[in-house]
Amino acid sequence: MKIDYSLITRRRFLNTLFGGWGAAFFAGIIYAVGKFAYPTLGKEPDFVVLKAADYLDIPPNTTKLFAWGGNPGLFFKKADGAVMTLKGVCTHMECNVTYKPAERKFFCACHKGWFDEKGKNIAGPPPKPLEILVYTIEGEKLIVAKKGVKVELPKA
Amino acid sequence: MNFLRLKGWFSGRYDFRELARLAKEKTRTLRRFDFGAVTRFLIALQFVTGMTLAFYYVPHPDFAHKSIIDIVTKLNMGWFFRSFHHWGAQLALLFLFIHLFGTLLTKSYRNHREFVWFTGFILLGISIFFGLSGYLLLWDDRALAGVKVATGGVKALPVIGGFLMAFLRGGIDVTGETLTRFYAFHVSLLPLATLFLVSLHVNIRKKEKSRTGFFLFGQGNAHAPILNQKLYHDLIVWLLVLGAVATLAVFLPPEIGIKADLLAPTPENIKPEWYFLFVFQTLKLFPGQIFGLNGEVIAILLIATAMAILFLLPLIDKKSSRGEPSPLFTWVGIAYIAYIMIMTIVGYLS
Repeated sequence: MKIDYSLITRRRFLNTLFGGWGAAFFAGIIYAVGKFAYPTLGKEPDFVVLKAADYLDIPPNTTKLFAWGGNPGLFFKKADGAVMTLKGVCTHMECNVTYKPAERKFFCACHKGWFDEKGKNIAGPPPKPLEILVYTIEGEKLIVAKKGVKVELPKA
Repeated sequence: MNFLRLKGWFSGRYDFRELARLAKEKTRTLRRFDFGAVTRFLIALQFVTGMTLAFYYVPHPDFAHKSIIDIVTKLNMGWFFRSFHHWGAQLALLFLFIHLFGTLLTKSYRNHREFVWFTGFILLGISIFFGLSGYLLLWDDRALAGVKVATGGVKALPVIGGFLMAFLRGGIDVTGETLTRFYAFHVSLLPLATLFLVSLHVNIRKKEKSRTGFFLFGQGNAHAPILNQKLYHDLIVWLLVLGAVATLAVFLPPEIGIKADLLAPTPENIKPEWYFLFVFQTLKLFPGQIFGLNGEVIAILLIATAMAILFLLPLIDKKSSRGEPSPLFTWVGIAYIAYIMIMTIVGYLS
């Protein structure tokens, strides 16, 4: 029914009103569910603090693992005794890499990617070198940090 | 109360005759081997075995691996149910691929059956995701690496890639959060979606019944009532398939690797499940850099584009929908099938 001076019928008014109610209801539900289902993202650590004594004495041409967030970090002593730290995650598809002492290279088993002693990608699909982390030794502490991150330890 | 009175009591409250009339009216094309029906049967079995496994499985990174070992070593028939669930999944996927290839080659997507193709295609995607999520529930070293690669590949998609990857993983990396998430997908979201889509898939083709496909009886026009003629034909095949799954389950139980460790190096000679091999092999073909661009991103984009074209094929193949012969798309179909099969074999042998 439409009153003479009205722009729309009552039926259309009610349909719009309740249609809008439905749209708002479902939009609200979808928004809330989506928000809840999407995880709160953790973030990669800026630095980790390790015990220096556990790592410095490893034999040459070996690596030792440390936890870099949920990923492996590698403390690596080259055959000549030089030391470096890097993230042990392949730059291709994020598989964990392993050090092959015989070849003196890092190897990713997922798609057969190889990295040399400096972490440079030399064979297989990886597009970038391994991520190098910076380490400093402060007393008994071995601090491994992302490149360019200023480490501020809480004062105990 | 005798049976007739009981029947009378029920039909006074619920109109069974209407239901029986509907069932009698429904007809389907008779086939000697109906791949769609076989897949449906296998999915039904997956629901049963999956529900029983869910009684015992613990979706927690510390206990998941052990709970599966307990299922196969300590529980009555546990080894059989786990093995059956595994082999049922493998065969369901195999028959799904054959079903898809057959539909593609005979162009059964034509004659207003585009939605059958679309729903079927989505169901194949869901089934592959079923496979991937079930694979992670094992929580062994291979599953972890496999899921890292599979979810990492999603990141290469433009715009939504990073968002989608974080949603799938439940964080920036594959962790215990991913396990609980995949468990939720595997036991609740995907089964519900499957039920809904299967019911659409089998009921949507009201207007034009399929008269194409393989293994047809007679001239391919033989429509038979679902009850009981079609059902009895299916039952013969289902019995054979049931026997095949049970035999595989008994003689080839799937292995369980060592418990997943987030920091451990990827196990060597790792290969994805067979239904991912053609993607895996394609990724290996691409170098890290192509003209200064990331090779992986290009590879994933190419695969995604090829999938999208396959999905939209009923809309692209205009000639078929007009009922004219369309040899070009026969060759397109053959190319897709040949590529998938060859890459799978190469991946398997290499």
